[in-house]
Amino acid sequence: MSVAKEFTKGLWKEVPPFRLVLGLCPTLAVTTAAENGLGMGMATTFVLVCSNVIVSLLRKVIPGKVRIAAFIVVIASFVVIVELMMQAYFYPLYKILGIFIPLIVVNCIILGRAEAFASKNTVIPSIADGLGMGLGFTFSLTFLGGIREIFGNGTLFGHAIMGASFQPFSVLLKAPGAFVCLGLILGAMNLISARK
Amino acid sequence: MRELVKMVVVLTVICAASGFVLSYVNEVTQAPREYQLLKYVQEPSIKAVLRSYSNDPIKDRIELTMGTNEKGEPIKKTVFPAKENGKVVAIAYGSAATGYHGPIDVMVGIDPEGKLTGISVMTHSETPGLGARVVEPAFTEQFAGLELSGQLNVAAQGGKISAVSGATLSSNGVVNAVRSALEVFPEVKKEVF
Repeated sequence: MSVAKEFTKGLWKEVPPFRLVLGLCPTLAVTTAAENGLGMGMATTFVLVCSNVIVSLLRKVIPGKVRIAAFIVVIASFVVIVELMMQAYFYPLYKILGIFIPLIVVNCIILGRAEAFASKNTVIPSIADGLGMGLGFTFSLTFLGGIREIFGNGTLFGHAIMGASFQPFSVLLKAPGAFVCLGLILGAMNLISARK
Repeated sequence: MRELVKMVVVLTVICAASGFVLSYVNEVTQAPREYQLLKYVQEPSIKAVLRSYSNDPIKDRIELTMGTNEKGEPIKKTVFPAKENGKVVAIAYGSAATGYHGPIDVMVGIDPEGKLTGISVMTHSETPGLGARVVEPAFTEQFAGLELSGQLNVAAQGGKISAVSGATLSSNGVVNAVRSALEVFPEVKKEVF
């Protein structure tokens, strides 16, 4: 596959939360607002791209039997870097995302891409794969967060857009709302794909 | 056997490299992280107790070491100065005392004469609806303008502060925290002004 194809597959065909249905824990938990989804997505993309690069560089050095342990050390290091950086420069976002930043370590998209792609491919396709998957994840989270924010709170990225008479469906900001929205999006995507 | 050695060596090297990188990042982000923590956690209180300033009290913060505690460790105090035209017009620092349920942390603002410019309760674990009402402006605003004297006491002890009704111990906790802040003021003053 070409580099461009590796990049674009993460955006639609294999978009992580909706197609692979991976990484659902942060997808459901932090998407109460578009901004949170965007922040979480960016952090995950950073970790994904960096860990893909390192894993693909080291793929011939790491013995097969300890590869998972090695991948996890690499991923965890980048997650800690993200956490420290966020704490230093984006403190409000750090407070909102809270425990879900350290939990990027166990996001199965990242380990999944390291195992399924980066450990078998060279650096350039691995970057494309990580970037595509990461951006796909970011768009998905921002989209889901946007929908929940618009209908659950009447705002988008903190700006009121629904007018004063709008009664927000506050259930959308709770856990059940996350499941309902996710289900509707999955259904809509299946419908679109089936028509093609 | 060779494979075993390779596994151990590779994992060790990866972990060591990771540790090295992380300690470097930790070092680099130390100062901005501390700044952000103070900015978002303490700045609201600092803003409330220092009436006006044209500087960044958090950036200009002064770390003082004042005496030692029971264990012989030095007590550190962070003082936030409010400056106008480069001159310190007031300072703010934290203080704590025991309330009804536990420690009450208070931020106090003091002008160069030792008069309070304002106080703000930062953290406490008092009873919601009763003792917790000590955070309300109706209670905290009574402190402005007072200095370390008999007036700085709850009304029951002859002072000018009317305690939150039903929460004498919580009110006393705040008063004690403010008093102990003012007690160390002469010492702080020497270092700051």
